[in-house]
Amino acid sequence: MAHDPIFELPVLQQWMQLVITHPGGIESGLNSPEAQQQIPLEQSELESVIPRSQQLSSLDRLRVYGNAYYTRLVECLGEEFPALKFALGEENFAGFAFAYLQSYPSASYTLDDLGRNFPQFLEQTRPQDRKADWVDFLVELARLERTYADVFDSPGMEELEPFNVHQLAAIPPDQWEQLTLEPAPTLRLLELKVPVHLYATAVKNDEGPTLPQAEKTWLVVFRWDYVVRRAVDELQFRLLEQLCAGTSLGTALSETLEGSPLSQEELAIQLREWFTFWAKWRFFSGNRLQR
Amino acid sequence: MTSPRLGHPDLGLGLGLRAQHYQHILDHQPQVDWFEIISENYMNSAGRPRYILNQIAEQYPLVMHGVSLSIGSSDPLNFDYLKKLKRLSIEINARWVSDHLCWTGIAGRNTHDLLPVPYNEETLSHVTKRVLEVQDYLERPLILENPSSYVTFAASTITEWDFLSQLVEETGCGLLLDVNNVYVSCYNHDLDPLEYIERLPHQAIVQFHLAGHTNLGTHCIDTHDGHVINPVWELYRKVCQRTGNVSTLLEWDAQIPEFPVLHAEVLKAKRFRDGNNSIEATEDEETAVVTPSKTVPHPTTSVPMEFE
Repeated sequence: MAHDPIFELPVLQQWMQLVITHPGGIESGLNSPEAQQQIPLEQSELESVIPRSQQLSSLDRLRVYGNAYYTRLVECLGEEFPALKFALGEENFAGFAFAYLQSYPSASYTLDDLGRNFPQFLEQTRPQDRKADWVDFLVELARLERTYADVFDSPGMEELEPFNVHQLAAIPPDQWEQLTLEPAPTLRLLELKVPVHLYATAVKNDEGPTLPQAEKTWLVVFRWDYVVRRAVDELQFRLLEQLCAGTSLGTALSETLEGSPLSQEELAIQLREWFTFWAKWRFFSGNRLQR
Repeated sequence: MTSPRLGHPDLGLGLGLRAQHYQHILDHQPQVDWFEIISENYMNSAGRPRYILNQIAEQYPLVMHGVSLSIGSSDPLNFDYLKKLKRLSIEINARWVSDHLCWTGIAGRNTHDLLPVPYNEETLSHVTKRVLEVQDYLERPLILENPSSYVTFAASTITEWDFLSQLVEETGCGLLLDVNNVYVSCYNHDLDPLEYIERLPHQAIVQFHLAGHTNLGTHCIDTHDGHVINPVWELYRKVCQRTGNVSTLLEWDAQIPEFPVLHAEVLKAKRFRDGNNSIEATEDEETAVVTPSKTVPHPTTSVPMEFE
């Protein structure tokens, strides 16, 4: 019997995976063309592959794995996106997660990667009514929570010295055109239409928040022991954006501050404030001066 | 003759390290003999979980237990995974590295479940080859755990215990005997758990697992969400008589209680070690009144994020 091609290991494994991960359940999985291609089988013949036990039919035994597959992974996504789950409610969240897992089944050895494409999936499947604020809210909330997950496990700056204002002061301004800064590996910039970070924190603190009003938000996400976020003004955000993209400090400043009413003196004060803030939270790990 | 436990020491009574207990462990430094980690929770982490693990590694012996090696899969071995596994094992001085006799996916997918293999010569040859490859790469014997399972295959021609025995003989790998899994699988497959533990190569057993499960009447599910029940303790007592003292670990992965409850649970194993033979009533088997479709087998363990 073991020499029957349907009992070869790759065939059995392909078949079993197709059956237990089928979104329509075990019966639909058994009858699916893909599973039938591996092992052509009537439901009544299932015992010839999966014997029954004294108390459970072959179908019910397979169903243990089928039930577990989506339940387990939806639960894992819920742990990664707790605020999104709160916003949608358990049932709606499970519906989105269930659809997502069909489009993006896990191909990684780690569950850390499971939700990597969830924000993108929500964006791709958003309703045609693009004016709907709540859709922006959901997509941005998912983006924020995925960013938190990334930052949580990335290499951090906890034990490294940041690039600070004194090091900057030691570089004459006429060399800033050649000066680039190295962002910390955990630094992320998020431009948002809705202040979803406040919502996520309120969910974490069990405050039961309601849908927030739309309000442009420029957020810097980083890690200092745990994940931290700071809202900044647009000017600072644009400068950080340029610096993180590898633009020299001189060019970044002139492009960002073009048309700014700040005097040279005011600019110097502003820069000192920003660099003190960035060093405090270890936004930049070093600098490079190209000669 | 191979030395007992492949020469590994008896580490005593340990606990599965879970994120919910990080702070308690760091603050109180409890008198736990050792901890077991889920390898995948730390292999990619350069953040707080890894930072805390490094602190715990300075104070306690650590063992690595994986859920994604997929030693029984027909897909090629993942050497990117193995590279990270090996690196972590060196960095935290893991006493040994274990995973399950199972497959987790095929065609590049991961179901994140521990799926059973059919037990026959073809599978034995396939798994033997892969265990040897993994051991060569890791430069240490692999320790494999008997899985909990809910189906058997018509393609199986040998028993699970014979399969494990032959695998040990042909590869020199060690066994992580999950006593709860023996109980669960034997319940589900109408087998005698005493025969199962009698027929194993006892000297290859490097470690025991103990855990709770959910009995749904018609079958048991390995949920890791409660106390170890009396019949499992009884099996543990029996196998301890055959093996002598072996590193023993309690797993508790759902509805995780406060640390002292977990610690007290594993300390119950003391009564069966050092040749002790007494049995005191602990937890009787109860049939759970739950929805089968909502009862999910282990593993679902992940490390929750912490943010402001």
